[in-house]
Amino acid sequence: MGKPVLEIGGLHKSFGALRATRDVNLAVKEGEIHALIGPNGAGKTTLIAQIYGNLKPDAGQILLQGVDITAKSVEERVHLGMGRSFQISNVLMDFTVLENAIIAEQARQQAAFRFWKPAFQDSALIRGAGQILARVGLQDRQDRLVSDLAHGERRLLELALALAADPVVVLLDEPMAGAGPEETQNMTQIIKQLKGQTSILLIEHDMDAVFQLADRLTVLVEGTTIANGTPAEISANEAVREAYLGSES
Amino acid sequence: MQQIKGWFTAAPLLWLIVLLFALFPIYTTLADLPFWNDVAMRIMLLGMAAMGLNLVLGYGGMVSFGHAAFIGIGAYVTGIANFYGLDNGWIQIALALGICAVTGMIIGFLSLRTSGIYFIMITLAFAQMLYFFFVSLEQFGGDDGMVMNRSDFVFIDLWAPLSLYYMIVAALALTALLLCVLVHSRFGVTLRALKSNQSRVEAMGLNALRFRITAYMISAMICGLAGALFANWQEYVSPDIMHWTRSGELMIVIVLGGLATLAGPLLGAVVFFLLEEFLPEILAHILPAYAENWLLVFGLFLIAVVMFGRGGLIGVSQKLRARFGKGAG
Amino acid sequence: MTFALILEQLFNGFQTGVTLFLIAAGLTLVLGIMDFVNLAHGSQVMIGAYAATVLTALTGNFYLGVLLAIPVTFLFGIVLELVIIRHLYRRDHMEQVLATFGLILFFNEAVRIGFGPGALFFNLPQSLSGFVQVMPDMPYPAFRFSVIWVGLACAILIGLFVARTRIGAMVRAGASNPEMTAALGINIRLLFRLIFAAGATFAGLAGMMLGPLTAVEPGMGEGLLILSLVVIIIGGIGSVRGAFIAAVIVGIVDTMGRVLLPVILRSFMDQAAADGAGPALASMAVYILMAVVLVFRPTGLFPPRG
Repeated sequence: MGKPVLEIGGLHKSFGALRATRDVNLAVKEGEIHALIGPNGAGKTTLIAQIYGNLKPDAGQILLQGVDITAKSVEERVHLGMGRSFQISNVLMDFTVLENAIIAEQARQQAAFRFWKPAFQDSALIRGAGQILARVGLQDRQDRLVSDLAHGERRLLELALALAADPVVVLLDEPMAGAGPEETQNMTQIIKQLKGQTSILLIEHDMDAVFQLADRLTVLVEGTTIANGTPAEISANEAVREAYLGSES
Repeated sequence: MQQIKGWFTAAPLLWLIVLLFALFPIYTTLADLPFWNDVAMRIMLLGMAAMGLNLVLGYGGMVSFGHAAFIGIGAYVTGIANFYGLDNGWIQIALALGICAVTGMIIGFLSLRTSGIYFIMITLAFAQMLYFFFVSLEQFGGDDGMVMNRSDFVFIDLWAPLSLYYMIVAALALTALLLCVLVHSRFGVTLRALKSNQSRVEAMGLNALRFRITAYMISAMICGLAGALFANWQEYVSPDIMHWTRSGELMIVIVLGGLATLAGPLLGAVVFFLLEEFLPEILAHILPAYAENWLLVFGLFLIAVVMFGRGGLIGVSQKLRARFGKGAG
Repeated sequence: MTFALILEQLFNGFQTGVTLFLIAAGLTLVLGIMDFVNLAHGSQVMIGAYAATVLTALTGNFYLGVLLAIPVTFLFGIVLELVIIRHLYRRDHMEQVLATFGLILFFNEAVRIGFGPGALFFNLPQSLSGFVQVMPDMPYPAFRFSVIWVGLACAILIGLFVARTRIGAMVRAGASNPEMTAALGINIRLLFRLIFAAGATFAGLAGMMLGPLTAVEPGMGEGLLILSLVVIIIGGIGSVRGAFIAAVIVGIVDTMGRVLLPVILRSFMDQAAADGAGPALASMAVYILMAVVLVFRPTGLFPPRG
């Protein structure tokens, strides 16, 4: 693990009198899984929105592989290598699993603005789409309509789509949300396998999963980062125990 | 080859209807009912315009309440060109397509910054602006409209019997083919994905506006072509073509046949016309005093379609087939 | 273009504006709270006008006719909501547009069957037929003057109700956050029904006031419906205050436009062309105004969530 791929420095965001983000500093190193944890209401959603590009921070800087993306649009950030999975599955319900992957694959190839050949029969796309699904083990379910999938399978598809464009850093927003114990284990294994292929900023409430996966953690409380370090360091940290882990355990 | 065949087999009902329209004059000639050719032409043009709107409405999820404006532009470009002596039909169509593309791009660009009810209203606003603009053009008849001669299509004589008819069939077939190709293409698939979940598609790094404006422009051009041919058929243009209720009519036709289906708009146009023709007749038989008030029944029918007929004729028939097919099989 | 003439047109514009407000108020609340697009709101205007005409003819007294027509219109709104409207709340806007479009067709024909296709005349009583001196040397039609007062009174009434009463608070909550309002356990269905019926009643009242000025005929509400939709978009959906301000602006722009544009056009066009083009371009003005507002304020001037 070496240079930081995602660096956030001095981020501030206020909504009127409410200071949602106060001097947030965070760095995701290349190849690591970096978890962002914090109690409800800590401002994780606002922070993610600023990292992803839906919200402009009032002050501070976000660097993606050294490039300043603070003012860049979502589209530009994705092209520069940012990926994202959503807390509530944003999968394409009216299409099959394979079709979802094909749409992601044509976007990855930056060849979506084409008018002639039928997309879903295009062998050039199907191969890549299959690989996208294989990453999460969904290739056997490829002909199912997404609306027919179980919740856990949809979360897997969500993950697959987030990784489709081979992003440099991917934001995983509560991938275990709503998943049962078996599905959580499965998802944890899959995310573990991704280590080294990409860098991950993991936002998650499930502490078992977090401690299994994270190389390092950052703790967000009331809009500001109060600690960061290895799982061992964080568990031992008094301030964190008080603010967060204490009330959790 | 396989691919080309695929476009036709993807929408068998659509091509069946187009084929029926192509063969229809055989019947009307034998039965000596030339009036029905005119009815068929109007249905085809309505279906064509509805197919254009369906691209953005059904497949794109953009509820544009102003597409009648593009039909009007197509018609007026033809009428005004004729007025000034530029009566080459091919040039007129090229002009109509070009102007609709540009207008579609501008209106699309301005409107697509909004969404939901605001989008519906701003598209309506632009359509109303164009409507009143054409009403204000006194030299072209204003409110009353103006009469025009059919255009000169050089090697096609529009005054020859059935010339215009088959020109419209050709335009209809072209539109049908265009829709079949587009809907299945990468562009079309992305457009449909945007309707399904815009956030996801944007998270893939795609620009929603680019796809949507393009779809909007294409649909505007299809409506423009329908308008140009309509002006030739009617030999008359007036702002009525672009009244907001015409846009409503297009939506009714699409929903009646089946939103986001290839055959829906054309099927809907056929049914719509049949209702318009036969409802008054039916009423004349059972309640003669109220035959003129057939719109009452049509209004109720429309409400019923919205409340109980989700998916239009195609959707309902699919549901019925699924239910009874399983029972029988 | 005398000063008196311009002033008279300003009054007319204001009168049109408050009438538009009466129609727009119900429309904006129904769209803002129930997220329901009601094209048949224009039919409400028509129903009110017909009810008042009939009841005036029956009782022989204008004031009594209008007074009785108000509960009739209210009841009509309740029934309509019960039978059709409430089934459509969960549908998407396009379906609501189409269904209410069907209602327009239905009501127009029903009225045609009941009263014939022609216009009914709604005659004014002596007390309202004369002129009022609003300023020295400026006589203004008494009826229009009273329309302005009625409209203003209703605006103040609605404004106070929404701002000061408990039900009004629920309405405001509903306008800015319908889901939360329902979660608070407020009888949402009854609230919706009352809001819809109240909106319908004010629209009907507008119809009663327009009847004597224009004509009571099938389809009389359609033009106003579109204009009211423009008003609520400019004003901000769900905002009563926005609806009032936008309605007055639209009323004045529309009226003054119709009067001034032909005059302006005459300076570089011949009279016939100017008089033909003038009103049409004036009609465009309102839509241009809305489009400009939407480009800079995509949710209107005074959105309640704003």
